Amino acid sequence: MTFLSSVFGGPWCIAVYTYREGIRRKLLIGFLILSLFVIFGSSFISSFLDPSAETDIDLKLIKDICVTAIAIFGALITVYISASVVPAEMETKVIYTVLSKPVRRVQYLLGKFLGIQLIILVNLLLMGGLFFIALYMRQGIMPTLLLWSIFLTYFEFLIISAFTFAVSCAATSPLVPTLGGLFIYITANLTEYLKDVEHRAGQTGQFFDNLIGKIASALYSILPNLQNFSIKMQIVNGQPNDPPTDVLIPWLVLYSLVYALAGFACAYLVFRRKEV
Amino acid sequence: MLDFIKKYQTALMAGVLLFSLGAGVLLNNQLRHLRESEAFYRWLLAAAVNERLFQENEDPSEDALFFARCTALAEKFPSFSPSDKVDGLSMIGSIAKNYENDKRLWFFAESDLAKEERAEFLQLAKKQKLQFATDIEYAEAQAGGVNIFNLFFGFRKVAANLVWLEVDRYWHQGNVYRMQTLMRTCVALDPQFVEAYLVGAWHLSYNATAQMQDTPWPQREWNAKYGQCLGEKERFYYYGVDFLREGIRRNPRNYKLYFDLGFGIYKQKLEDYPNAVKYLSEAIRLPHDRWVPRQLFLCQELNGQYGDALEGWKDYVERYPGSMTAVEVAPRFIMRNEGMLYEKEARTLRKKAKESTDPAEAEELRAQAENYWKKARDTWNALDDPYGEGRKLMMDALDLREEGRYLEAIATLDKARWDTGALFEEFSSLIMEIKLEAHIPLSVSEKKALLRESEVGLCSGMPDEERQRRLKSAESIESTFQ
Amino acid sequence: MTTVIRTTALNKIYEGAFRGQDVHALKDLDLDIRQGEIFGYLGPNGSGKTTTIKMLLGLLFPTSGKIEILGSESIDSATVKRNIGYLPEGAYYPDFLRGEEILAYYGKLYGLRGKELKKRVDETIELVGMQHARKRLLRGYSKGMRQRIGLAQALISDPKILILDEPTTGLDPIARKEIRDLLLQLREQGITLLISSHELLEVEMISDRVAILFEGVLQKIGSMAELLTQRELSMTVDHLSESSVSDLTDKGIQVEDRTGNRAVLRLPFYMSSYDGVEMCKAHSLNLLSISPRRETLEELFVRIVSTASKAREVVQ
Repeated sequence: MTFLSSVFGGPWCIAVYTYREGIRRKLLIGFLILSLFVIFGSSFISSFLDPSAETDIDLKLIKDICVTAIAIFGALITVYISASVVPAEMETKVIYTVLSKPVRRVQYLLGKFLGIQLIILVNLLLMGGLFFIALYMRQGIMPTLLLWSIFLTYFEFLIISAFTFAVSCAATSPLVPTLGGLFIYITANLTEYLKDVEHRAGQTGQFFDNLIGKIASALYSILPNLQNFSIKMQIVNGQPNDPPTDVLIPWLVLYSLVYALAGFACAYLVFRRKEV
Repeated sequence: MLDFIKKYQTALMAGVLLFSLGAGVLLNNQLRHLRESEAFYRWLLAAAVNERLFQENEDPSEDALFFARCTALAEKFPSFSPSDKVDGLSMIGSIAKNYENDKRLWFFAESDLAKEERAEFLQLAKKQKLQFATDIEYAEAQAGGVNIFNLFFGFRKVAANLVWLEVDRYWHQGNVYRMQTLMRTCVALDPQFVEAYLVGAWHLSYNATAQMQDTPWPQREWNAKYGQCLGEKERFYYYGVDFLREGIRRNPRNYKLYFDLGFGIYKQKLEDYPNAVKYLSEAIRLPHDRWVPRQLFLCQELNGQYGDALEGWKDYVERYPGSMTAVEVAPRFIMRNEGMLYEKEARTLRKKAKESTDPAEAEELRAQAENYWKKARDTWNALDDPYGEGRKLMMDALDLREEGRYLEAIATLDKARWDTGALFEEFSSLIMEIKLEAHIPLSVSEKKALLRESEVGLCSGMPDEERQRRLKSAESIESTFQ
Repeated sequence: MTTVIRTTALNKIYEGAFRGQDVHALKDLDLDIRQGEIFGYLGPNGSGKTTTIKMLLGLLFPTSGKIEILGSESIDSATVKRNIGYLPEGAYYPDFLRGEEILAYYGKLYGLRGKELKKRVDETIELVGMQHARKRLLRGYSKGMRQRIGLAQALISDPKILILDEPTTGLDPIARKEIRDLLLQLREQGITLLISSHELLEVEMISDRVAILFEGVLQKIGSMAELLTQRELSMTVDHLSESSVSDLTDKGIQVEDRTGNRAVLRLPFYMSSYDGVEMCKAHSLNLLSISPRRETLEELFVRIVSTASKAREVVQ
């Protein structure tokens, strides 16, 4: 217990502090409020539809728009908070007061990363909670599938936040990691195109062409592919013939944890000898 | 231990990074496998549905040929047994017939046994040779095409919703052709957008045609796919059919699509009761709302399947004994179908009696026929509504016909058909039948009614064989006229 | 006396990015700081003071050389760090926390828990005189109060060494005095203080020894008595009469810069400032100013830096 306390006590303390400090940021609150407006406003989207058509299109619209809003704003919140936590501490010199204490750099990073995850989780739960209420009021039953969607959305964000965090550990201001995080988000969603490059390469038979194909193939295998998480959209609408999610969801969770670990390891390797 | 970690933490962390990237590679492959399997599974379902419901004398497509290879493989899958097989269907088709077997089909699609077929599926999908693999979720991604849909970063569903708002706008503007194009875009973006199929088909079959007149036959063209002469208005009905079929292939477990196809289009618009029954039967095999079976029973009745309809209504009453339908509606339909069954039985027995060469047998048959006839009449009496009254009058007319009192029979039927609107067509046909039997001249409108354009009508593009058949049919009918 | 901090041939080179020049921030620094002393670490901007401090704390890594703290070269170890308190220059503390909360946070980072943590928080708050504001949010603190809290977080673990970077910058005179008194009190408790500051007067007041750095090179190190030059006492006086001039000259006092009745008197080394004041009374002189016998730290600093600067120009 003493061992655990000595190893994890510091990181947990830093995590709570990071959470308390991060949750107050104006930009974060702005994103959250915007997302709540969109979620709330989606309930009115049905006014654009033909009322004589007695279907559940408005319910589908609400679900899709809300899941997308949570995904977009959640991604913005994730990138922003992951990119700014460490550089902000360097700018305000708070990092000096922390690293001068008996806190190892890896403990510091762990604490910061956990704090970031707490912020992301709370924001997701807030957005998801409002969505949950909106759906419950609309359809009168508990939308339990939504919980799985939020669950998977978090694990998607975990990957983005880990790599953005790694970039932020190399930077001295939040701007570059923020742009980096957005870049990571976009490219991780476009990893599928590497498969296309792989398939189309090698047609000329030239060495360079083949090499490109091999590189594309390697990158496609190594890089995280966020398209794997597109099931979160599908799961909300829950069609009867969907493949069993009890197979896919655990793999996705493991996938996310593995890449989060890779991202954290990158963060440590960058930060361990960083001069602050 | 802690000192060791502290001393070598950089090397350990580098090791963690390499390990996690390695694990990431393995997991990427596993997820890729799962997504490829999902695409393959969805295609198998689509192909199985097509085999069971839509494959009507079509030339074997690439889908059908490949499906045949897959079903041959499925015979060897350990989880599938010969007892799963249904007559007339392949192994996969049989398994897919029951939605509760979907998980078993998924395991087949995902299995090592199907590895080569899965790879072949992806190759064919990539070359766009599989009609059913276009726009199946993940299929295009797996095929690795430069897929503009991927740019939506998984927000295809929202994009589809926004396109749907445009569809709605075009509908209100009356711009039907643009609406049609956008509908296709909408379902391409989100193949699971069931409401788009439902409302879209409704727009095509009902709203788009509401302002249109029936196309005169000389202006129609032969449609080989449906074996019909179709004008613009009629084509829209079949656009609706095609659209719903496409929806069914992509969402084979949503009862609403089968319902709208069976009831909304085949029954209400095309009056094609066999197909209506076919698709409504599919609808009730899936989780459905309570009112769905009632429409099936109505269509069965219209299709002459009185026994099935009767069983259905009785079953319904047993399941929902306290419901308003069971108390107020079902008893009437039970009686109607019972009455129709008695009538049908009586007619069959009368016919057999006429054809019988054995007088004793004929007498026995006539007695049985009378017994059923009386039961039918009792049923109509008990029904005590315009329908029952109409049928009683019809029975009176048929009795008069038996006695050779044709004019009285015709008069009775004439009264009956105007009193009972629902039976107008049937009684009108019966009047014409009696007239022909009695060599009473038909009126112009009656001749026209007999020479139904659906049976004798000609249009451009019609194959010669069909043209000759219709001409002969017209000759044959005209020869019965006085 | 035991050396608590020792650096041997410490070098730090900042590598220039792309085609930029490398910056040799610290050149062969040999420093030793003894237990229980207040050590003033001085130098103009960019001389390498903060670089040295950061290397001591493990925030920067030496290019070459050695650092020993409390006899250990593992300056990153928890044992060493637990005995160091650091107050950085201009550090930010989060507004949304209360005084005692921020101390509790830092206390936990030191590994303090439960009752021990509470006890240390109470003691430290009392030590820095912030009892009245402990439950107030930091956004309601003045600059002086924030600095005290900063000092408190550095003291929370009862460290043996305290490193302070510009502890009194921006404070009003009363607050400065209070901080000075506190630092002296800490020295009395046996804590070693390393102070980096541009407030030379204050450093001179409280430091036992100082080191002066210029462009990464240690120019001087020693106590005040060793470093500050003794010189003649001079007084500016008024109402000087001719008779007084001759009398003063006879006593060996030089009279210079005469303007009317005003002049500057230079007293010989054997005369103290008290002697000078008595003499003014005796001759009814109006004493306008008296300059110290000893050179000030500021004068020393300016002297050393300008000498070093000239030497650098000659080399170039």
